[in-house]
Amino acid sequence: MVTVQRAIEMTGISTVLITVEPEESAQARPPRALCPKGFGVGHSLGRPKDPALQKKILSDALGLLLEAPRLGEVVVREYR
Amino acid sequence: MAEKPLELSRYCIPYTPFSKKLEESRICLVTTASVRAKDQRPFQVDGDTSYRVIEGFLPTHSLTYDDVHYDHECVDQDLNCVFPIDRLAELAEEGIIGGLTEKHFSMGFSQALRELRESTIPALAREVDRIRPDAVLLTGG
Repeated sequence: MVTVQRAIEMTGISTVLITVEPEESAQARPPRALCPKGFGVGHSLGRPKDPALQKKILSDALGLLLEAPRLGEVVVREYR
Repeated sequence: MAEKPLELSRYCIPYTPFSKKLEESRICLVTTASVRAKDQRPFQVDGDTSYRVIEGFLPTHSLTYDDVHYDHECVDQDLNCVFPIDRLAELAEEGIIGGLTEKHFSMGFSQALRELRESTIPALAREVDRIRPDAVLLTGG
């Protein structure tokens, strides 16, 4: 997944990844990445039919585009 | 004799500064969760290096996925768990983002890493580049 992200970033497009495998993703050095803590594979955006939570995670991920670079880092945040 | 083009070291991190406002930005969604339109060719679940282009106007009920590698409890109820297209559309309606691109992209599961790296991923990145989104959001399974 990070390989895809890096390739797109290399074409001159800003990218952000939502990952639930933070260690694996960090090893591959993503330009920007958010990990919603505690959610497993298949649940990247949190719980089903919880639009408010899904939008919060999405807004936080897109918000990383506006923040100071944290290259190669996976930003881990907790959600309820 | 020409040298082979240099490749980006895995220690190097590509970085494109984001200089627009989110509320003016067209966002493209790229997933590796094997999502596709129901009328598109299914992904082979034991390994598939192809990708699907998903038209942006398609409603969620016309999308599906082909996978045996991640937990489906969430996605069977709500595809937005891995492909948050409805939520992005809502963020656009709320004016938080400018909008969505006319196309999104989806890859399947594959362990053919060399083919992915040398063929699939460059082709996908070029196709994303052609529609010039202001930013790309990527989701895994």
